[in-house]
Amino acid sequence: MSEPMRTRADHVLEDPGAKAVASLYAQSYLDAAASNGAENPAEELHSFIDDVIGQNPDYRQALCSGSLGRDDVMGLLDRTVVPHCSDYFANFLKVLAGHGRLDLIEAIGAVATELLETAAGQKRVEVRSARALSDDARRSVSEQLRNKLGFEPILNELVDESLIGGLIIQVGDTVYDSSLRTRLKTLTGRLTERTFNEIQSGRDRFSHPEGD
Amino acid sequence: MKFKADEIASVIQKEIEDFRGQIQTAEVGRVIEVGDGIARCTGLSSAMAGEMVEFSTGVNGLVFNLEENSVGVVILGDYLQITEGDEVKATGTLLSVPTGDALLGRVVDPLGNPLDGKGPIMTSDSRPVEHLAVGVAGRQPVKVPLQSGIKAIDAMTPVGRGQRQLIIGDRKTGKTAVAIDTILNQKGTGVKCVYVGCGQRSASIAGVVETLRENGALEYTTVVAASAADPAPLQYIAPYAGAAMAEHFMYAGEDTLVVYDDLSRQAIAYRQLSLLMKRPPGREAFPGDVFYCHSRLLERAVKLSDELGGGSMTALPIIETLEGEVSAYIPTNVISITDGQIYLEPDLFWKGIRPAINVGISVSRVGGNAQTKAMKKIAGSLRLDLAAFRELEAFAQLGTELDAATQQQLDRGYRMVELLKQPQCAPLNVADQVIVIYAGARGYLDEVPVAEVQAAEVKLLEFIATEHADMRDLLIDHAALSEEVESKLKSALSAFRTRLAS
Repeated sequence: MSEPMRTRADHVLEDPGAKAVASLYAQSYLDAAASNGAENPAEELHSFIDDVIGQNPDYRQALCSGSLGRDDVMGLLDRTVVPHCSDYFANFLKVLAGHGRLDLIEAIGAVATELLETAAGQKRVEVRSARALSDDARRSVSEQLRNKLGFEPILNELVDESLIGGLIIQVGDTVYDSSLRTRLKTLTGRLTERTFNEIQSGRDRFSHPEGD
Repeated sequence: MKFKADEIASVIQKEIEDFRGQIQTAEVGRVIEVGDGIARCTGLSSAMAGEMVEFSTGVNGLVFNLEENSVGVVILGDYLQITEGDEVKATGTLLSVPTGDALLGRVVDPLGNPLDGKGPIMTSDSRPVEHLAVGVAGRQPVKVPLQSGIKAIDAMTPVGRGQRQLIIGDRKTGKTAVAIDTILNQKGTGVKCVYVGCGQRSASIAGVVETLRENGALEYTTVVAASAADPAPLQYIAPYAGAAMAEHFMYAGEDTLVVYDDLSRQAIAYRQLSLLMKRPPGREAFPGDVFYCHSRLLERAVKLSDELGGGSMTALPIIETLEGEVSAYIPTNVISITDGQIYLEPDLFWKGIRPAINVGISVSRVGGNAQTKAMKKIAGSLRLDLAAFRELEAFAQLGTELDAATQQQLDRGYRMVELLKQPQCAPLNVADQVIVIYAGARGYLDEVPVAEVQAAEVKLLEFIATEHADMRDLLIDHAALSEEVESKLKSALSAFRTRLAS
């Protein structure tokens, strides 16, 4: 079967509505796993996403495309995955299939990872720098973040040469920008404004007293 | 003029030395959808409604919709450069515009950026575009007149300072002309004016600016221009921006006049935004809160109490009707909000009665208290007389023979109609208006042929200004028609009648 049709470019974010729904399912899945005493609930979920669906795109297509009826999808799951997985995971997949939400499985996996990290006092932090961080710098950034923000940062490093120097650190929706690019931009704005002010408010100050 | 390069360099050097680049902290989100002047963004989890946001292209936006998983932003500028995935930064401030004396004589866009090529606007004052109107305790009744300089208005639908008087009519009936004449008449009175051109053709706004400039009115006027070519968000906020600019003067205790030209276009821009934002449409596809959109704007027009400085903001909103349909959604809304309306009719306009004010259905609910005593005395019965004349006129068209008294009433009516005509950009002092209307109503112009009434009016005003200036000055100073002034006026008018006959 051909590749699934793509309607959006890769860089575009996922639909926020779908993410909200995925959060609900991920939280429920983790709660169910905890009440069943599962030690590493994310492992089974990620294994399903990577090893089963990831390796067999046609299988994913069959489950998620809507070409099969819900009963057929349930039957397919019963014959293929259920004999090889835990009971609660099988139930989880069937609930997803019953609600027609199997296409959200990857998003649910991502949110589940995030939730587990948050529960463990960790948070993803995006660090953008002009050059790749050295080990010392990485350690120092982690240390500072741990001290200031009170959680264990998981650094996601990106190199962006246009920053010229300095760092941009993003935690959730908040951005801490100490890059040289931004500072220069601020300085440019301030200089322009100041020069405008000087010229407008005291034109005579800079002119030669004897005239042009 | 030459600049001293070394001194400029030292200023710049000092600025660089003093520059302490601090870490900038901002809340950001990403654009997930953009088009037609609006963007939907994720992130921005603590954004406020009405907060200003900044896109990575430098364009500003206004938070319009707060939804469960996204934020709807209206883009105040070029939206074609913004793409999906762009970063958008919350600024933590409400949308504000620059205010102050520096704006007088300037033409600006609704964000306060200059459009007239006269350089940057040097002011450090600003006010939020959206501002809650003053409460009941902060107001006082409208009692000071705001002279429009137009005889028909000052006599029959007077406007007071702090009043909201709607100017309504079909296209090409002279709505803007009435508003512009009112601005022109504020020359020398200390009233600061703001003209908001919203959804107008750029050429029309340029024409207004030129008229104001030619008549020396631009120096006390700010023009806020959001033409039909500007994006809908700018047209939507233009009236609020104009109100904010006027409020600056009002809260400083000064009197101001704001013209919103016109609010039907603003409602259409708001409808466009609301529909794009998927807000449910109501009557005529306008959103449910279009009434509030106008009521909160017009409530900002107020006569402040003395404790708050006693400043005032008079609003002249303009509404364009289609084929005289005043019962459409937006006209009825604005009619119910305002303190009266001046209704302009195409039929009158094409009959040559200009300004084409239909005095029968034009009203001013609060302006009567603000009329000068002299005007109140002579204009008291004018509206009824004119209404009676209209009935008689219709009756006379049947070709019936009329008795002498009725014929005389009819003749005087024709002359009054002629007297109430007024050319554009020629506002009259209220004392002159009193003299002219007195002369017409008391029959001093009965012998003048109808076609020559306007010429006689000009002569009369010349005659009074040159030969009876003392009486005119008394009328201006006292603003009342005392017995002394009235007897002087009568003798002056009799003398004029005699001279005209000879």
